[in-house]
Amino acid sequence: MAIDFLFFFRVLVFPGFTFVLFFTLFCDWVERKIEARIQNRVGPSVAGPGGILQPLADFMKLLTKEDIMPLDAKRILFKASPLLSFSVMVFSVSLLPIDGSSAIPGSSFAGDLIFIMALVTIANFLLFLSGWASASPYGSLGAARVLTQFLGYDIPLLMLALGPAFLAGSLSIAGIAASQQLPFIILAPWAFVLFIITLQAELEKDPFDIPHAESEVVGGLETEYCGGKLAFLHLTRDVQIVFGAALVVELFLGGPYGPVFFGAPEVWYTLWFVLKLLAVVVISELLTTLFARLRIDQVVTANWKIMLPLSIVALALTVALGVWVYPGLV
Amino acid sequence: MQNEHELIEMLREKMGDKTEVLANSLGKASMKTDSALLLNEVKQILEVDRDTGISAITGLDMGERIGLLYHFRVNRHLVTLVTDVSKEIPKISSITDLVPGANFHEREVSDLFGVTFEGHPSPGRLVLPETWPLELFPLRKDAKIEGIPFQSETSSEGITTSQPESNSELVNVVVGPQHPALLEPEKFTLKVEGEIVRAVEPRIGYVHRGVEKAAETRTYLQNVYLVERICGICNSCHATSFVEAVEKILGTQVPPRGKYLRTIILELNRLHSHLLLLGHAGLEIGYETLFQYMWRDREPIMDLTELITGNRVIASSIAVGGVRQDLSEAAIAKFRTMLAQLSKRMEFYQNLFNNEPSLKMRTQNVGKLTKEDALKLSVVGPVARASGVDMDVRKDDPYEAYGEIPFKLITRTEGDTYARLMVRLDEVTESIKIIEYALDHLPQGAFRVKAPRVVQTGEAVARVEAPRGELFDYVKSNGTAYPERVKVRTPTFANIPAFLKTAIGGSVADVPANFVSLDPCFSCTDR
Repeated sequence: MAIDFLFFFRVLVFPGFTFVLFFTLFCDWVERKIEARIQNRVGPSVAGPGGILQPLADFMKLLTKEDIMPLDAKRILFKASPLLSFSVMVFSVSLLPIDGSSAIPGSSFAGDLIFIMALVTIANFLLFLSGWASASPYGSLGAARVLTQFLGYDIPLLMLALGPAFLAGSLSIAGIAASQQLPFIILAPWAFVLFIITLQAELEKDPFDIPHAESEVVGGLETEYCGGKLAFLHLTRDVQIVFGAALVVELFLGGPYGPVFFGAPEVWYTLWFVLKLLAVVVISELLTTLFARLRIDQVVTANWKIMLPLSIVALALTVALGVWVYPGLV
Repeated sequence: MQNEHELIEMLREKMGDKTEVLANSLGKASMKTDSALLLNEVKQILEVDRDTGISAITGLDMGERIGLLYHFRVNRHLVTLVTDVSKEIPKISSITDLVPGANFHEREVSDLFGVTFEGHPSPGRLVLPETWPLELFPLRKDAKIEGIPFQSETSSEGITTSQPESNSELVNVVVGPQHPALLEPEKFTLKVEGEIVRAVEPRIGYVHRGVEKAAETRTYLQNVYLVERICGICNSCHATSFVEAVEKILGTQVPPRGKYLRTIILELNRLHSHLLLLGHAGLEIGYETLFQYMWRDREPIMDLTELITGNRVIASSIAVGGVRQDLSEAAIAKFRTMLAQLSKRMEFYQNLFNNEPSLKMRTQNVGKLTKEDALKLSVVGPVARASGVDMDVRKDDPYEAYGEIPFKLITRTEGDTYARLMVRLDEVTESIKIIEYALDHLPQGAFRVKAPRVVQTGEAVARVEAPRGELFDYVKSNGTAYPERVKVRTPTFANIPAFLKTAIGGSVADVPANFVSLDPCFSCTDR
C-alpha cells in the first residue's frame, strides 16, 4: 500500500483529526446551548451565528494566555500528560467508523473494542497523572476522585459493551455496527439505559461530576493548570464526551449506517452518524441538568452495589435472549 | 412562653434583694449586678428557664469602668443583665460553661474592649487581625486609631491547603479565606481524618470594617445608611432594627401605614434572601439548574423592592419615624399580580424539593443539629426552627405590624440541612401571604412622622427577625446628634457555632452543603 494522498486526507482532514476537532467544538457548543436553554439562559451567543464559534474562541484565548507551572510540580508529567491524553483520545475516536470505515484505513481488526476501551483507560489515567503532577492538594484530590470513579465504572461499562458484541457475534466495533439490521437499542434497551448512566459517570458529568465539584475541590485536577495546557485539558474532556457518545452510536444505534437515498454513501453515513451522536449528546446533557451532584461515597456505593450487579444481569439477559429468542426473530 | 409579668415576678423572686429587677428597660427587664456575682445571677436565670439563650454581650466604655450588658433570651423574652468591671483590671468570669452560646460573644468583647473572661474554653483573637497591636482596644473611647503600630504576623498558621500535623493523623483542609464554596472571605480549618471532619477551627474577621466604631462618629441620620450597608441582602432589617432602637429612646410612634409599609419591605427582604439562598444551595450541591431557576424567580422581588422603595437592593427606605416613600394604588395592583405569579412558582419548587431524589440524597441527614444543641448554642432563625425550636421575633416580641398580621410559624424537627432549606422554602410562601395581608389591610394616613435629629440621653435595644434569624441592636445616646454606642449582633454571628458543631463527624464533601444551609453572611458577621 503506497502512502498516498487519500491516506493523509483521511487521517488529517476527514474523518480524521480536523473533522474530529471541529466536530468536538461543535458538540461543545450544542451542549452549552442546550444546558443554557434548559436553565433559562441564553448561552453562547456572541461569537459567530448563535455563538457557534464560542468553544473555538475559548480554546484560542486559552492558548494565548500565560502558562504558569507550580514550583513543586513534576515538570515532565505536568507538561506532557494533557497533550498525551488528548492525542490518545483523538486516536481512539479515529479508530471508530465514522463514514462507514475508520479514519485510518484498514485499522479495524477483530478485537478493537477491547483495544479502544483500554486506550480510554490510558487516557483517563493520564488525566489522573496530570492532576497528581500538579502538586496541589486540590489537584491530587480531584485526580484521586477521577481514578476512584473511573476504575469503578470501567467494569460495568465494559460488561455492558459486551452485550452488543455478543449479539453481533463480533468484538470489532465496525463488525458490531455493521451487523445491526435492527439497532441494538431495540433488542436490548435495558443495556442501553444502563450504558448511558454508566457513561455519564465515566465522563464525569452530573450527577456524577464529583471530580469537578468546585465547592469541594476547587478546580479538581485542573486547579493548577492554565494557558495552553488547560486548553488541551478542556479539549480532552470534550473529545472524551464525543467519544462516549460515538461509542453509544456504534454499539446501540447502528453506527453510521442508515438509509442511503442517492449519491455517495459516505456522505449519508457521516450525516447519520452526526445526527445519532447529537441525539446521544442531548440525552446526556438532559441528565446533567436534571440532577444534583451526588457525594463521592454515594457514587462509589452506587457503582459496586447497584451498577455492577445490574450490568451483570443485563449482560446475562442479553446473552440469554441472543441465544434463545432473537435467532428465531431476526 | 409565659407572659412578661410572671417572668419579672419570677426573676425578682430568684434574684433576691441585692439585685434590682427593672421592668421594661433594655428588653422586658434589666438587672444590675456586681461583676463578682455574675455567675451566681446567671445560674438564677438558668433556673427560671433552663434553655436560656444569649442574644449578645454589649461592651460599653463608661470612662473609669467598662460596662458589660448580657442580653439573654429567657423564655423568649429579652432580659438584660448589667454589670461592669474596672478599666485597670478588666477581668470577669466567663459564662460560656453555663451558656455555651456566649463563646463568640465573649471573645468579641475581649477583642474590642480588652476584657479578660476568666475560664473561657478557647480565648483568642476573633474579629481583629493577628497584626493588630495587643494593647489597643478599638471600641474604647480612648483608643487612638490613627497610626496603628501594626505588628508583624506572629501566627505561623499555614495559608497552604494541606499540611500533616506532626503529632496526629489529622490533616488540615483549609476552607477559605478564598474558596469557591464561600462567597465571602472567612477561614475554617478542618481537621480531617480520611474523609471525616474531626475538628473545625474558625477564623472570622476578614471583613471587619468597624461599623460599630464608625457609627459613633456619624449622626443618627447618617447611621441609618451606615447600618444598612452591613449587609446587602437584609439591608432593611438592619435599618429597621437600628431605627426601632432610636425610636424607643425618642418615644416616637410610627404611624400605622408606616408600620405596614415597613413590614412589606422587611418581608421583601426575606423573600429575596431565602430565594437567593435556596438557589445558592443548589449550586453547592451541584444542581445548577435549580440555581438558575431560583435566581430568575428572585428578579421580580427586586422589581417589587424597586417599586416600593425606589432601589433594587439597598432600599434606603427606612427612616426614623416611618418610611421615605408611600405606595400607590397602581403599585399595589402590580404587587398582587407579581406575588400571585411567585406563589405559582413556589408550588413548583415545593414539588421539586419534596420529590427530587438527588437533592434529598445530598441534604438529608447532613449536619444534624438536635433541639438541645440548638438551644444550648443559642442559634437563631431558620436554623433554630429547623431543629424544632419555635423561635421567631415576629411572634415572640412583635414589632412593626407583625402583631396584627396572622401567619404561621414554620418549624421542622429533623434539624438537618434538608430541614433548614425546607423551612426557608415554606417561609417564602408565608412571606407572600404576609405581604398580601398587609396590602389588603394597609391603613390610610401618614406614613412618616417627623423625628428630631438630636436624641435625648437614653439607651434601648431592638430585635428584628431578619431572614437569617434574630437581629439585635443596642443603641445608647448621650443627648447629642451622635450616638454614644451602637451594637449590632447579626444572626450569622450567632449561627456559626451551629456549623462548628454539626460539621464534626461529617464528611468533607458535606461541608459546603451543611455550611450554606446556615445562610452564612460574613459581611454581617464581621461588621
